[in-house]
Amino acid sequence: MNSPMLSIRNLHARAGDHEVLRGIDLDVPVGQVHAIMGPNGSGKSSLANVLGGKPGYEVTAGTVTYRDRDLLAIAPEVRAREGLFLGFQYPVEIPGVNNTYLLRAALNAARRHRGQPEVDAYDFLELVRGKARLMKMDESFLSRGVNEGFSGGEKKRNEILQMLVLEPLLAVLDETDSGLDIDALKVVAEGINSLRSPERALVLVTHYQRLLDHVAPDQVHVLARGRIVKSGGPELARELEQRGYDWLLDEAA
Amino acid sequence: MNAVVRPPPVPGSLSQAAFEQRLRDAVMDAAPLLNAKLLPVSVRSAALNRALAAGLPQLRDDLWRYADLKFLGSAPWAPSPVAQDPARWQGAARALLPEREAGFERLVFVNGRHAPELSDALPAFDAGVGPVVPERTRHERFGWLNDAFATDLVRLSVEGTRQLEIVFVATPVDQPQAVHPRLELAVQPGAALTLLERHAGNAGGNSLINAATQLHVGKGARCQHLREQSLSLDSQFLDTLQVAVDADATYELTLLQLGARSLRSSQRLSLYGTGASVQVNGVAVARGARTLDHSLLVDHVAPGTRSGQVLRGIAHDRSRIAWRSRVEVAATARNAAAEQSLKGLLGGTGAEVDLRPQLEIHTDQVRASHGATTGALDENMRFYLLSRGLDPDTARGLLEWSFLEDAVSRIGDAALRRLAEQRLVATLGSTVAGEALQ
Repeated sequence: MNSPMLSIRNLHARAGDHEVLRGIDLDVPVGQVHAIMGPNGSGKSSLANVLGGKPGYEVTAGTVTYRDRDLLAIAPEVRAREGLFLGFQYPVEIPGVNNTYLLRAALNAARRHRGQPEVDAYDFLELVRGKARLMKMDESFLSRGVNEGFSGGEKKRNEILQMLVLEPLLAVLDETDSGLDIDALKVVAEGINSLRSPERALVLVTHYQRLLDHVAPDQVHVLARGRIVKSGGPELARELEQRGYDWLLDEAA
Repeated sequence: MNAVVRPPPVPGSLSQAAFEQRLRDAVMDAAPLLNAKLLPVSVRSAALNRALAAGLPQLRDDLWRYADLKFLGSAPWAPSPVAQDPARWQGAARALLPEREAGFERLVFVNGRHAPELSDALPAFDAGVGPVVPERTRHERFGWLNDAFATDLVRLSVEGTRQLEIVFVATPVDQPQAVHPRLELAVQPGAALTLLERHAGNAGGNSLINAATQLHVGKGARCQHLREQSLSLDSQFLDTLQVAVDADATYELTLLQLGARSLRSSQRLSLYGTGASVQVNGVAVARGARTLDHSLLVDHVAPGTRSGQVLRGIAHDRSRIAWRSRVEVAATARNAAAEQSLKGLLGGTGAEVDLRPQLEIHTDQVRASHGATTGALDENMRFYLLSRGLDPDTARGLLEWSFLEDAVSRIGDAALRRLAEQRLVATLGSTVAGEALQ
């Protein structure tokens, strides 16, 4: 199967009265890491949210094909079970719902969807503990409420922990690097890199180039005013770091 | 002739005069059942007169505007003689009894009457115990009617450390009945009581349950009280709780309102000893067209008293939940502290949650805060769970759980907390696995 993991054509979307996506075209082949960069308000998070199926966005034109299926026709929870993972820019706190419970419920939902038996409780604990060590998260985080009282950096690590447990085929990470200090950034990058494989694809939505120093992208796309205005290799990210976004906005205008 | 004109009564078509007549008739009907050794005739008579003077709640009475009392037009006040034989109903009652809590002494009352066969062998009545709460704390019209009509009661003095489970179970009999469960406990100075009070079962169609609980928490004593109301979904339940807390004593009240078609629950908590403190954790869940109405008054009388409230309600479908919570800080209650947090969750387009935190302060030195919010489920939280592959029902159940757990997690006693959590998991439905418990 040579078709891309994710293929977006002429995607337009609105959030309320705002047209946030104005004709996105993007192919992400299997095995690749693509970075979506752009200034604030360019539509980066909107793109991630539309891919995840967040309510409040209306797709007005275009198509999104994920593994040869019409992604937009699939309910958000089914997208997740089919291997799509959305890493949140602002992960929500859900006090009283155990972190490990959510992980297990999520994994079992995907396994049931694939016709697999539920995961053995002890095997699961071993798995989660191993992944938590990789993310340098204290085991106590596993028994706390979901993101309850976590710092910004801890929440982002927890997102990556969830991703590692769920082993998605396509991960869309929305500004996972924002709010991280340099040590946490390395840990998060390590977690992301550990998931890179020929069977998966990753889309990193980011404002800054620094995550890309640790997770080398195959392609970099620049989003401005709801469109991709430039695509290139990793060198494009470095150019943006030096020159900022303005020159591209001028070009696109 | 000058007729006294009163405003029209709230409950349906029942007039003030007809209500009075019903009460007087009920006394005559119930006379043989009204044991004077438990409550002297003079007490019953005085209580009835106070209730008659108070009359029916009026529409414009702010304390009663959310209550659904239409059933007062037809439900009886007199206990039914056939219902008052616990031996006859204990088979039915046994099937309705909740599972026992390990480590708790159990007393069971069936249709308001002590059922020794279903209870542990401990006395339910200690004649040496006088009125347990001061006059100031006794206040409420349906509480007075419990004085007038109670056919049996728990009246105990608690010393040392005890764990008591008191179950009031109602069974359907062959006609509508009135049940008046009654509990009077005096927690002696320095004692520690863990109290599980449960109202369960089904009194039968168009019956009335009118419960009254009085508690005195003595100097330096500690009382943790869980009241679980899981009556059948057609039950009509009036409830009066009166608690007086003496110096340096702590009282923790958790209300789990899970059943009943129409509930009106009034609580008055008096902090009358220096340094007394109360914490109230309240949870109400309603579906269908049910009404769960609460009126809570925390009365800070003495200096250095503290109160905290975390009240939560989830109204589904076309149901209504009201939490009215009033904190009064008297001029004598210097350095009092009061916190109120009220939150409602709307689970249906026709649902209603009414939250009214109120604060009345008569001294300058007080720390007080309150907040009240009502809304639907947070869409961001919901989407977060969906994006992890959870189905919408499970996501909703988990978020409702999270919403209520905020109150329940504050229960200090591990056994009571566990029990409350299990009851909530059962109420929210099987889609929320008990594994979600922390």
